[in-house]
Amino acid sequence: MLAADQRTPGARWTPFFFLLPFLFFLLLFWLIPLIGGVQMSLHANGLGQAEYVGLAHYEALANDERYVTALRNSFVYTLASVVVIVPLALWLAHLLRASFRRLRPVLTFALLLPALTPPSVLAVLFLMVFHGRNGLLNQLFVMPLSFEPVNWLKDPNFILSGLVLQTVWRWTGFMTFFILAGMEGIPRVYYEAARLATGSRWQHFWHVTLPQLRPVLLFVAVYLVVDGFSLFSGAFVLLGGSGGTADAGLLTVTYVFQKMRFFEYGTASAISISLLPLMIFALSGLLFLRRRTA
Amino acid sequence: MSVCVKNRLGILSLLLLGPFLLAVLLPFLWMALGMFKTNTEFFQPLAKAFFPANYDWQNVTELLKGRWVPFWAVLGNSLIVSLGQALGAVALSAMAGYAFARFTFFGKRLLFVLAVALILVPRQLFAVPLFSWVNELGLSDSLFGVMLPGVVTGLGVVYFTQVFRQVPEEYLQAARICGAAELRVFLTVLPLVWPALLSYGMIHFILAWHEHLIPMLVLTSETKQTLPLALAKLYDVSQRTPQGVQMAASTFAVIPTAALFALCHRKFKSSLSDMLAH
Repeated sequence: MLAADQRTPGARWTPFFFLLPFLFFLLLFWLIPLIGGVQMSLHANGLGQAEYVGLAHYEALANDERYVTALRNSFVYTLASVVVIVPLALWLAHLLRASFRRLRPVLTFALLLPALTPPSVLAVLFLMVFHGRNGLLNQLFVMPLSFEPVNWLKDPNFILSGLVLQTVWRWTGFMTFFILAGMEGIPRVYYEAARLATGSRWQHFWHVTLPQLRPVLLFVAVYLVVDGFSLFSGAFVLLGGSGGTADAGLLTVTYVFQKMRFFEYGTASAISISLLPLMIFALSGLLFLRRRTA
Repeated sequence: MSVCVKNRLGILSLLLLGPFLLAVLLPFLWMALGMFKTNTEFFQPLAKAFFPANYDWQNVTELLKGRWVPFWAVLGNSLIVSLGQALGAVALSAMAGYAFARFTFFGKRLLFVLAVALILVPRQLFAVPLFSWVNELGLSDSLFGVMLPGVVTGLGVVYFTQVFRQVPEEYLQAARICGAAELRVFLTVLPLVWPALLSYGMIHFILAWHEHLIPMLVLTSETKQTLPLALAKLYDVSQRTPQGVQMAASTFAVIPTAALFALCHRKFKSSLSDMLAH
């Protein structure tokens, strides 16, 4: 870290001058709503002057089977998306690097087109991919491999896989782009040094590429976890805000939204707040990893 | 590596990439072709009617003339909100990033942790209290009510902290020796990092363009709506909008972000590579 410039006594306040606009908006549109959320979760359902109920919403959640289902589904969904997307994106980035230099930008762009598409439009595209018998997935992959066509959005055994497939389809190309940019930033000398030590490409990948890509992979994982747990996006539109048959695709975001729709704002806030310890856990892990990288 | 081996490797990797490209592009092609189809054509099995029987522009003109939603107003709203958010976010985050990267001060660590927490706890999680607070501020049903909450971003602050750490100290010292005030120093450094400013602006524009939940709560009147809201209305079964119109609107919703990314793609990638190289 670089030393501060402390020529003049006034210089002590200079950093705060630069931080002020950010902090102002942070307070206004993040901290205040956050506190509002905590308060809302301690009051009875409904807007305005509601009765104080203490931790009743949280107690109700602990006994709420749907909440537990939503939490479990979100966990599986997020974990699966990280586990599938990260290796796949690493592989695709290697393929792109091996392909022709001139085609690379076009191919990368094509792959990340889904990330540029608004979630509401994705809903329409998924309909085509996952649609009953006539969907792309069934027509191109499942039926040619002589399996029974799967009803992706109705069959409770497949809904969660469908959701994971959706997020893989949406984000893999985008993450490939980040990994590719990271790979291009690795100084060539490292590979030359590695070549002297060992010849195997696999070892180069393991000892040079992967450690150098750690910040990128960290970013990718964080993005996917945040998207999986708390953003209102792909998975939500795919099932139109419902949890799917037998709640097999009920995620925490969906559940929050369902409660909101019935004006159960207290419960909805309690669900959101209950995700905080999880995020704090992720945060401490992140800071720990950052320190090790630095 | 010899040229021959390199070419063979290139072709092999293209073949392996093929299925992925197909999986991504096919739905988009289907969507774009969908705007020329009639409803009956649209619902036929894919293999039978992937391409429309004739290319009829009626759906597109109906949409543009605003028969179903006030298309141009909606597009304009989306542009205003996304541009405003992107500019605001770049300005706030670049300033904060500069402070984090270049100064030591009391509470720096805590404030930085707060910025990271902002990434992990996005405001969408607190949509309801945010919405009632925005109402209290008198910003309900106003584009500002969507735009202003969107300018705080943890990602931007962390990104610009990294960016400003890499500006060589000599540049700053040179400016300071000339007697420039700190704000002047900051403004002199800005042109050096313009690819980063552009890149982050683009990413934030795209995120703002996609935002659904907060506009849905804040914007109520029809002419104030943004594109995702208008799309949701078009998709709504009870509206009986022809499928072709829905497809046309969907296609037009993708074009601006795709074009923006195509334009800035190279700068974005090299700026990322530079950042990660350190």
